[in-house]
Amino acid sequence: MFLTLKTKIWLTVLSIVLMFTFFTLYYFPDQRGKLLIKNYSNEVQNLANSVALGVKIAIREQNFEGVQTAMEFVKGDPRLKFVSMLQIDTVWNDNHTGYKIKSSVFKTFPENEHPSPTVSSSDSIIVKQAPFITPVMSGSILLAFNTKEIVDSQKKVRETSLIVSGIVFLIGIILGFWLARTISVPVLALRNAANRVGKGDLTQRIKKPGKDEIGELGRAFNRMIEDLSLTRKELDESNISLSAANNSLSNTLSELKSAQAQLIQSEKLASLGELTAGIAHEIQNPLNFVNNFSELNTELINEMKNELANGNAQEAKMIADGIKENEQKINYHGKRADSIVKGMLQHSRKSSGQKEPTDINALADEYLRLSYHGLRAKDKSFNATMKTDFDETIGKVNVIPQDMGRVLLNLFNNAFYAASLSSKGGFKEQEPTVLVSTKKINGNIEVSVKDNGNGIPQKILDKIFQPFFTTKPTGEGTGLGLSLAYDIIKAHGGNLKVKTKEGEGSEFIIQLPII
Amino acid sequence: MGEQQRWRGGAKITIALMKTNTPAGKSTSQVLYGMSPDELNKFWLALVFQGKAAAPYFFNSAAELEAFVAQNPGAIGILDQVAANDQIKTILVEGKKL
Repeated sequence: MFLTLKTKIWLTVLSIVLMFTFFTLYYFPDQRGKLLIKNYSNEVQNLANSVALGVKIAIREQNFEGVQTAMEFVKGDPRLKFVSMLQIDTVWNDNHTGYKIKSSVFKTFPENEHPSPTVSSSDSIIVKQAPFITPVMSGSILLAFNTKEIVDSQKKVRETSLIVSGIVFLIGIILGFWLARTISVPVLALRNAANRVGKGDLTQRIKKPGKDEIGELGRAFNRMIEDLSLTRKELDESNISLSAANNSLSNTLSELKSAQAQLIQSEKLASLGELTAGIAHEIQNPLNFVNNFSELNTELINEMKNELANGNAQEAKMIADGIKENEQKINYHGKRADSIVKGMLQHSRKSSGQKEPTDINALADEYLRLSYHGLRAKDKSFNATMKTDFDETIGKVNVIPQDMGRVLLNLFNNAFYAASLSSKGGFKEQEPTVLVSTKKINGNIEVSVKDNGNGIPQKILDKIFQPFFTTKPTGEGTGLGLSLAYDIIKAHGGNLKVKTKEGEGSEFIIQLPII
Repeated sequence: MGEQQRWRGGAKITIALMKTNTPAGKSTSQVLYGMSPDELNKFWLALVFQGKAAAPYFFNSAAELEAFVAQNPGAIGILDQVAANDQIKTILVEGKKL
């Protein structure tokens, strides 16, 4: 049950007042009354004992006037109701078969009272007996005092208790009002102010806080609101500057995204350039043959014309055979160039972005050669050894050939670059070598590209897959190659790992699931 | 026995008895009153409480009793022997001493 602070204060005050009232109106008078009755009873009993003792002595002394005097010992007491002397005899029963105790009143004072021997205490009187035994007679003194004095005392106690209770109740009411005013009202004001502050009104203040703890709370609240106002003001200012910074950052991000798109385009163009260079080299080689043999044939045809003009038919026939042989070579190399172009076209046509069963070994071999010749086209001094170790049992793997080709080309380019750089640096006298191998392990296909370059320093190892991170000189690399490769392999549900040892080379491993 | 309070001359009758725990007192209660000593005491107590008579005076010795009777006119004492005091008149009860 929810109780307000004011209700709790009133309940506490009323509980205390009610408990006090219970004590003053009931418990205390009751205890007081019981004590009075107990003391009064003791007093009456002592008086009865005294009278009985006096009677006993007087009878023994045969001082019969003294017996009367003893009984009149209590005569002057205003509380006396009566004093009787009871005679107790043991007499035969009616049938003379046994005895019975018979009590009879021997003498009573005042004489107008006629109490029964068996009278007992009541609300109005207290009756006490004190026995005496003498040879003359046995009996007891029956002493009765009225209780008017006690009743009057109890009445006075009750009246006093009632007055005290009234005063306490009045004090309780005043105390309740005072507590409500000094505790409840300031606390409620504090609560209301806090609620308004919670709704955003920071102009709230506790007016005239007192000197007690609640007043201190009010002052602390005021200080807190002032601090809060100041903080909010600073926060607003910070928000404004943050908003400006945010706008600036947003613009910068937009520019960065634009730059990233341009860089990606550059990377694609660079890849395309490398590819083009490789393709050009592949075609250049048969074209050289075609050109050389066709030039040779032109010269041979001229020679054959001369021989025919001179009538050397035999020589002309031999030259014609040579021309035919060259023609076959031209045809062979022309077909070879045709086949290369068709192969490229085939790849370009399959750029559907869809996964399809692909011969990873063939793809790797093709792009390895493209990479090598591309680099050779750019730098005539470049030279490297290509080694392959393909597992022929891996079969076809479901990949996007265009994307996987881009990954392989990138890894091959990096491997040739690292291997040749090491060779050029002169640190090692060894031929730059790139080893490409494939194998099937635990349901995965692994393609390994290993070079014998200088390896990757440990401090940059965790950055190599980050976009735009490159160790190549400005203009030679965009820093997007490995990042794109990583994303493509992940998109295939695979993994791209690197093992490296400084001074010994690096190995990039593509893991692809067989689906 | 207490029925008569005054002598014919008007003097108040004062009875003097030996205490009932003395041999004379015992014989007095038995012979003269025909009661045991305790019955006699109770008898006198009842008379006193009823206001019918003044209580007798009890003495421990015959000499004290004789002296009391000699000094109080109208007093009558009961002894089991003739009084030695010549100021007292002795009456024999039923012609013999008690």
